[in-house]
Amino acid sequence: MSLNPYSRLEEVIQDDLFPPTDLALRAGRHIDQDDLDAYTFLVDALPWLDPLYRRYGFDLIRSPDGYFFLVPQSDKLPRRTLSAADMLVGQALALMLLDPMSIQAAGVVPRAQLMELLDKLLGADNLIFAVNPRRKRRDEKVDHELVRKEIDRALRHLASLGFIDVVQDGQLRLRAPLLRFADPVRDLGAPADSLAKLIGRGQATLLDLDTEDSPDHASDDEEDDQP
Amino acid sequence: MTDVQRIIRTLTRQQAALHLETTDLCFLIALHVRAERAALASFEEELLYDVYEQVCATTEPEAQQLRKRATHAIQRLREQRLLARVDGSGFVRAGEYAMTRLAWAIVEQHIEEQVLTRESLTLLTHTLALQLEDIRNAALTARKPEEWKTRVVNPLRVTVSDLIGGIERRQRGLDAQQEDLRHEIAHLLQRDWFEAIEACEQLLQLTARTLQELNEVLMRDAARLQATLHDIAQRAFERQAAEAEETSNRVADHIDRVAAWGTARLQAWSEYFIFVQRYLRAVVRLDPHRALSQRLRDQLAGWTQLPFALVTAEQPRLPAMRALDTRPERPPVQRPAQDLEAVMQEIAPPEDARALPLETRVSNALQTRPEALSSVLKTLLDAVPDQDRYRTVGRIAALVAASGRVDTSVIDKPWTPVADDLEVEEWTVRWDELKP
Repeated sequence: MSLNPYSRLEEVIQDDLFPPTDLALRAGRHIDQDDLDAYTFLVDALPWLDPLYRRYGFDLIRSPDGYFFLVPQSDKLPRRTLSAADMLVGQALALMLLDPMSIQAAGVVPRAQLMELLDKLLGADNLIFAVNPRRKRRDEKVDHELVRKEIDRALRHLASLGFIDVVQDGQLRLRAPLLRFADPVRDLGAPADSLAKLIGRGQATLLDLDTEDSPDHASDDEEDDQP
Repeated sequence: MTDVQRIIRTLTRQQAALHLETTDLCFLIALHVRAERAALASFEEELLYDVYEQVCATTEPEAQQLRKRATHAIQRLREQRLLARVDGSGFVRAGEYAMTRLAWAIVEQHIEEQVLTRESLTLLTHTLALQLEDIRNAALTARKPEEWKTRVVNPLRVTVSDLIGGIERRQRGLDAQQEDLRHEIAHLLQRDWFEAIEACEQLLQLTARTLQELNEVLMRDAARLQATLHDIAQRAFERQAAEAEETSNRVADHIDRVAAWGTARLQAWSEYFIFVQRYLRAVVRLDPHRALSQRLRDQLAGWTQLPFALVTAEQPRLPAMRALDTRPERPPVQRPAQDLEAVMQEIAPPEDARALPLETRVSNALQTRPEALSSVLKTLLDAVPDQDRYRTVGRIAALVAASGRVDTSVIDKPWTPVADDLEVEEWTVRWDELKP
């Protein structure tokens, strides 16, 4: 007797979990074990869903860290590249997730700790440059306000993609998909080689900071970012 | 004013404060231990000096003038109501001192490790059940209010509440122990990383098992205790013993809280357990040399040199069609074209109109004591050419209003026709004597 509840693709598609899970994956969401129903559905349905998505030009990736996500492999498919602020915040949060001290509160960390870490690792000037490379330094207070807004926006964006949960009182709950930000340094080889492999598999791309949309003009596409 | 506000005001007025240095705290703890071992209810003054010197030898080995310091320390503790002089002899002879309730509470917080265990919980709930059985039997036989008071209410308030308080105190001890355990697991991983996995798993499983057992005991015994309390409350209700009924309900609330603690802690620990297990599996086991953190730190620090971004799928945006605008098209404002070449026509004013100014005519009309503005207008408008009527109505109304006889008490004034194409808001004109 097979342990898998599905024996055909038709059964997978007729499952009530298929529509919400499919929509979430196509919207770029990462599904981990905290989304237990969707995660177990994907584990069981993977043999049928993998070829299905491949026909549409998507790769359904199952990470060894315990989460699923879709990567578009065709230029005709809509894709989203994370912004510079998303990347900086994501990497810092991944670093916090790797810190053993984060397990004291089961992965819930204060938002202020993120700001401290970014300031410490990048420095204020680098941070301002990274989130808005075309901006000339004008006023320290204005710049800090700009960075704060960009980080807020990045946190909302990362939450909509399933990397974190924003819980009350300025606390962030770190989730397993954050480890995706550490993918280029997973191997013991040169990070540039690993990054090249990720780019080759369509999971990452190089950013040109000079052509990144300036936050001054990046407008309020925040509504689009909501899940 | 509530009690809390009164207490706060009193404490503020008294400038109450607590300031305990390490040596003072250790001194209190040493006194507590001495009292426990020798079953002392109070301490002679000389004993206080001895104990203080022993404590000082450990906490401040370099300290001089120990006796003088001990005198100051005793004085400080008395001022803060941690030590009380109990002999009542004043300065006549050496005093005898006792630790206050406050001092006991502070010391117990530091030294007592009352943590809930399966054994202690079973013992406490069993004793509680026996007590409640006795109280239920008493409730069945109690007749007079004094009997309800002495055999039901007081035991519920003192004995039963103390036992529940004992369980809650141990629950808080277990909470603190779990907090320490989380610190310990984090520090173990921080220090030993891969080698700490086994120890962490053992700690996790041990605590999970303890919490599960405690929850089972709580769920089982709480139901039994609640049933007994319900019987007592029911009996009290039948006998109209309101105080007993209220007290038993309050105890039932306490028991509910004790039982809810078990479920909540088990749930919280379960989430923590899952998180740490995943962490051990996904992070520690996959990175036994703990190189990933450092490599990621380097990647983040140098990210602006080689910026890259992750790619995700994106839902194509559905085109949102604009709603059809159904508002009617409004024509531009126009006026009929005028014949600028038309010959001007001279119109002579009526004879009587020319003779008297409007003010006089209005005054004359008011002499007839009309009852409303419309009456004045109808009298006067006949002599006014059509094109001047609209303007003249305004002037007449102003003159009537200036006469001071218009009744202003009417708020909702009706509209009355005064000509074929003219209506005015009706004003009543008053002819009774106006009050000054």
